[in-house]
Amino acid sequence: MNPKDLEQLLLLEQSGELTPQQQRRLEAGLAAAPAARQLRRELQGLARAIPEPSTGPAPDATEKILARLAANRPAPAHNWFPTLAAAAALALLLGSYALHSSRSLDAGTGRAQATQSAMLDADEWTDPLEQEFADLENLFRVMAEQPLFDLADL
Amino acid sequence: MDHDDATCLAAWRRGDTEALGALVEKYRRPLFGYLVRFANDPHQADEWFQETWVRAIQHMNLFRQRNFQGWLFRIAHNLVVDHLRRKKPEVSLDAPATEEGAPWKARLADPALSPALAAAGRDLGRQIEAAANRLPPEQREVFWLRMAADLPFKEIARVQRVSINTALARMQYALDKLRADLGPAYRELQEMTP
Repeated sequence: MNPKDLEQLLLLEQSGELTPQQQRRLEAGLAAAPAARQLRRELQGLARAIPEPSTGPAPDATEKILARLAANRPAPAHNWFPTLAAAAALALLLGSYALHSSRSLDAGTGRAQATQSAMLDADEWTDPLEQEFADLENLFRVMAEQPLFDLADL
Repeated sequence: MDHDDATCLAAWRRGDTEALGALVEKYRRPLFGYLVRFANDPHQADEWFQETWVRAIQHMNLFRQRNFQGWLFRIAHNLVVDHLRRKKPEVSLDAPATEEGAPWKARLADPALSPALAAAGRDLGRQIEAAANRLPPEQREVFWLRMAADLPFKEIARVQRVSINTALARMQYALDKLRADLGPAYRELQEMTP
């Protein structure tokens, strides 16, 4: 076995990675070459000679890591459910209103005007949901006052 | 994955910050021991140490059942590589220093042979550190991953994304250079073995 192969086996021995087959080859190599035993002592000495770093990580490293993780945490994803629910309610409301308006065109009543008046009451400061409820309430009130069709027409 | 590492990671995922503390403590010496050999100063090594953990935890879903130690050192390796790429020497030691073309290194005292280092011969460990820091980066990294972080060659190969034979060969080149650089001092190592 050449010295380089033997040195590789010694390195693997030191790191605890020798397979049983490599172990047998190393033992045979060490028996055959006294210089290999010298090399082994050098490698063992090298591991002992290297000093520990004079410093280490900050004693509160874990706390600092946790703080950095908290600082880097992405903002929670926006919850679109309330917005979508409000949009759906509004669409339903407007759809109902449109249906109602089309059916009541002939009635010549003030229902449309009343609803429009309610809509015009809304401004940017009005809570959207509150406004929707107000509009809905107004719509029901108008519908109650003015039936969609006259029983006499049937 | 190491059973203890897997247990700590599972506990950390459940919100147990002490489990993270246990992991940080476990890898404190090897990880810092590796990083400090490439940093400009201990403060930078500490910064890299924390950054390694932050990146490891933030991308924890990427390694799942793989070796946590290898994952951690791979992240540390990337930090070191980024640093070395940015840190370009202002003057190459092989660049001509004079009109006659004598390179800088010919005009500088060889640290291995300087009186100061000869006087520091008692402190062989410091000489080895200094000599190791003159190795090419890939050999230097193998040397410190093995000697400071105590990583097996199989793991070093994963960190460097090379074969185990390449990792072993890099270690052998590093040892050859240390022998040449330290000369008789290197042979003192034999006497350090009981």
